[in-house]
Amino acid sequence: MLPLETTDLKSRRLKTAIAFAVIFSLAGCAGSTVKLDNPTIPEPLITKLPLKVAARYPEVFDNYVHEEQVIGKEKWSIELGRANRLLFTQLFGSMFTDFQVIENDAEARDLGIDALIEPSIDAFEFSVPSQSQTEDFAVWIRYRIKIFDREGVQIANWPIAAYGKSQTTTFGGDAALQRAAILAMRDAAALIILQMDKATGISKLSNASNANTPPLPETAPDTEPAPDQMNLLTTATKETPDEPRQ
Amino acid sequence: MSHASKPIYRPVVLLAVATLLGACVTSRVENVREGDTGIAAGEGIVIMAKSYHLGNETEAKFIDCVGDSIGRGRSGLRVVPHAEFVDALFPWFEPRTAPAETKGLPALLARPGVAEMIKEKGVRYVVWLDGDTDKVAGGGSLSCAAGPGGGGCFGFAWWQNDANYEASVWDLTGLEDAGTVSADVSGTSFLPAIVVPIPLIARTQSRACTALADQLKLFIVAEETA
Repeated sequence: MLPLETTDLKSRRLKTAIAFAVIFSLAGCAGSTVKLDNPTIPEPLITKLPLKVAARYPEVFDNYVHEEQVIGKEKWSIELGRANRLLFTQLFGSMFTDFQVIENDAEARDLGIDALIEPSIDAFEFSVPSQSQTEDFAVWIRYRIKIFDREGVQIANWPIAAYGKSQTTTFGGDAALQRAAILAMRDAAALIILQMDKATGISKLSNASNANTPPLPETAPDTEPAPDQMNLLTTATKETPDEPRQ
Repeated sequence: MSHASKPIYRPVVLLAVATLLGACVTSRVENVREGDTGIAAGEGIVIMAKSYHLGNETEAKFIDCVGDSIGRGRSGLRVVPHAEFVDALFPWFEPRTAPAETKGLPALLARPGVAEMIKEKGVRYVVWLDGDTDKVAGGGSLSCAAGPGGGGCFGFAWWQNDANYEASVWDLTGLEDAGTVSADVSGTSFLPAIVVPIPLIARTQSRACTALADQLKLFIVAEETA
């Protein structure tokens, strides 16, 4: 029979080992929360479109949270917070000579505007390195932009798909996913600047509707369109089902 | 030399030989010149990655490495940080919007404010990096175990990495493709373990970075023909 001290010592070691095992197994199941703290886009090098435009944001824009359990792995939560509202406000403010944000209960026809823009989020998806078998975090965001004329008639329903990718070796797990989300939002901003007028015809809503209205850039010179970009041009005014991107 | 010192020197010699073997990599650097190059005082370059929308996988740390290497030393060139350049020219050099060929440059520079901003940043050349480092082969077996009394590893593992990168140099003054510089580096790493693992790492990506940066510097600085 072992002496009492030795038995106690072994018991303590066993308890310590079990405690460590429990802590590690809990850590394996723990989730990661990624927050976007007011990301901004640079001031675009474009000529503003002479339009009086208002934007109306859905409530989800103020507190968008995407949660996903990677099968057999950790749970991820991405809190976009007010990032979308800030992004679109900054973007449209850079695109139009007169821009304002209106409340959800405001009537567009009472404001004397040329166009009302209603952006929304159709879908948010991401992949982590354990899924893609790469070092990359990738984020896809599908926005939908509805445009109404001064009478409140919908003239465009434009779905856009934005993509951002960041490497985990550079920024670490949480930071890499955050970076990928910001890049996806920035990608959306670039796409909107480039394609909005061509896809929605918003410049035709100008009150003056004069021929001198400089259109927004249609395409970058000799730019390779992203794989999803070709579809956007053909579905700009159609109601399309919200299919997640594969 | 005394007989007593032999056991001390033997592992040191073995380690040195093993290190030399482990550091063995093969590299090939080539350049193809399409036009004259040269760089004046005040002019700089910017290092960019080809768009990931087009499937490019160039690592961010490799881009930083090439930029740092080109800017380092007495013969270093002025390298404008790519984030600063891309932000200043938003949205024209985003992954989705960046021109894919030099024939798109005249239209891009004709856009309001673009040429002025490039001039303000003092960028003469845009270097587009393409390629990545991949593990192409590997083998061996290594196992580690740990217990209350200690732990250790036994076995041998190896792997081969290939670093293939290509840099396209665009001259924003002549609006033309000045040429390309490529670096192909291959190296095999070993990990023998007798209780303690001894990693003998072939730094293929680091070697590719240095080789590509040195060659790019020579390529760009080459005197312009009158």
